[in-house]
Amino acid sequence: MIVIRGVGLAQGDERLDTLSLDIAAGEIYFLLNRPGLDRFFEVLCGLRRPDAGEVVFSGGPPGAAAAIFIERVANAADFETEASIGDWIDFLCASCGFARASVFKTLLLCGFHERHLKKRVRDLAPDTFRQAYLAICLAADRADIVINDFIRGSEKSFELKFNKLLLQKKAQGQAILYLGSDIFYASEIADRAGFIKNGRLLFEAESADLKDMDIKDLYLKFLN
Amino acid sequence: MIAFLRYEGRRIFTEKKNLLFLGFISFLAVYFSWSGLNEFRQFQTEKEVFLRFEKEKVSQLANYAQYGSFGFRLLYEGSPLGLFFINSSVFQDLESNIDNFEAIRVESSFKGKKLFLKRGYFKDFAGILLAFGSLLMLYLGQQALVGTSYLRFLTQCMPLKRFYAQTTLARLFWLDLFFLSLGLGLFYLVRLAGMAFSREETVIFALFLIFLVVMLDFFYLLGQFTAVFVRFRPILFLWLFIVWFLCVFLLPEVNRIRVFNRSQGLESAEKVNLEKFRVLMAWEREFKNFLKANPDMPRDQVRSMQKRLAVQFINSSFLVNTGLETRYLREVEQVIASHERQSVLFPTTCFQFLTGEVSGKGYYGYLDFMEYIMTLRNRFVQFYLKKRYEEPDSPMESFVKSDENIFRARSRLPRSFRFEILLTALYGAVLYLLGYRLLRRQVCRP
Repeated sequence: MIVIRGVGLAQGDERLDTLSLDIAAGEIYFLLNRPGLDRFFEVLCGLRRPDAGEVVFSGGPPGAAAAIFIERVANAADFETEASIGDWIDFLCASCGFARASVFKTLLLCGFHERHLKKRVRDLAPDTFRQAYLAICLAADRADIVINDFIRGSEKSFELKFNKLLLQKKAQGQAILYLGSDIFYASEIADRAGFIKNGRLLFEAESADLKDMDIKDLYLKFLN
Repeated sequence: MIAFLRYEGRRIFTEKKNLLFLGFISFLAVYFSWSGLNEFRQFQTEKEVFLRFEKEKVSQLANYAQYGSFGFRLLYEGSPLGLFFINSSVFQDLESNIDNFEAIRVESSFKGKKLFLKRGYFKDFAGILLAFGSLLMLYLGQQALVGTSYLRFLTQCMPLKRFYAQTTLARLFWLDLFFLSLGLGLFYLVRLAGMAFSREETVIFALFLIFLVVMLDFFYLLGQFTAVFVRFRPILFLWLFIVWFLCVFLLPEVNRIRVFNRSQGLESAEKVNLEKFRVLMAWEREFKNFLKANPDMPRDQVRSMQKRLAVQFINSSFLVNTGLETRYLREVEQVIASHERQSVLFPTTCFQFLTGEVSGKGYYGYLDFMEYIMTLRNRFVQFYLKKRYEEPDSPMESFVKSDENIFRARSRLPRSFRFEILLTALYGAVLYLLGYRLLRRQVCRP
């Protein structure tokens, strides 16, 4: 489970005023904020210190990240290593102790074709690279997953495959925190959604309630 | 570490543009080593002609007075290792004429086919590795860490410190292996082609390769640091070019200009020659005055007087002139020593100084040549005076025994070589640590 206790971020569009959340195992929580939550994601990843509060994850092996963090891949070219995807996966499996079977299982679920393994990042379509990226991220054996706006800009077919994977992880009892600004997507996959406006968590809704509410109205109220 | 080695090996050696660049460097290195070998062989042929000519010249002379005026030529022969440094040496083919004149002439011939021998930067094994090797290392250094997004992703798989250290080590391992194999491969290829290197030269070449690799590692770390410093921005290539230009062209040129400016403090060689000429003329005047004062002196007495004055000349004026020349040489040596101290400060200036010395045609080689000229000259003047005044009727005999008129320069390492390696490695270590510090700040924001 993921526990966020009074996390605060001062200044800027992405400021937060003492956010507290508990995400239970087997739950998908969608945190919505119009300008995005990149800084908060960095705090969750441990790459930035919050101005106040703390985040507690179920934990991982020593020396490794406490949870799985899946960041939006804005530009696949940022991951161009001059090695083929196959070599990249081999390297990460060998150096980080990921199970190859787990990586390839995710790749198969995503419909990643074997021929892409010989290609380099620059030769792949953005969504194809995202599949490989996702497979690597999910190969880590952690109880918690934090995702930052991952499906923004991707094809609907990829989104569906991703949803399928998320639901599978949820069924396995992993706690999932999704950060983003897409209320329609939130209504599709989240068990709970929280709306942040001006740095404050103003409103929380269960999945069932969300379906009854007017999404457009919620969007105009909190995310416009 | 094995995973890093395998992965970085694939990153470097499966990328087409890297392979193209590595192939280009290898091709140029082979070509210029072969061209150096040809020049060395050409020099050996010309040396034979030179020796034959010098032998023939003595047999054509009528008397020792002529021998004293014509003298004999002394040829500077660089070390066999020089074939790897034909354009990186301090000077090219040198000759000197040893005679009974006071001025010591050291010159380079541009006659005939030598006119077409154009020398310049980077057209040899060492130059190619400096110019293109450094460029490749800068480029591969900046490619190593990929970018901030990639590193942020990796930090969830492994600690940043581990990735930074092992990636750097793995890439340096492959690149160093490439350059060492290229250098050693060419060395043994040249040996197979019939070149003989002494044990000392083999050791010197191996040490040169070690310095080369440490210097190229410095460039790799500089590229890596530059990438981090400009935050992997798209203008990075412009920065890399500026850094490369500064290190490979500008700093060595500034170093060269500085030594030239320092050498301006030296007395003109012409002035030294004039001073020596005055000493000689004073001695000549003394002899002339003596003949004027004793016009009726018998011929045999004039001869014995000549002999006495010659001995007196050797013991006084000649010693004064040799002293003037030695003093001048010591001043030149001081300029060279200060140039060496200054060159140590940066890897490329260091490399420039080192290649000169390893080729055998460096500053210290020049000093040895001058010492050798003075020793031979000393012996020649004594030989000449003895033959001319004591044994005037003896048959013409050459002063030069076997190939004494060939000065064989040896390859050497500068005295500061160990310090140079340590300092270059230290610069690399500083860049490595600074790069890591900056990178950590970019990836993990406080």
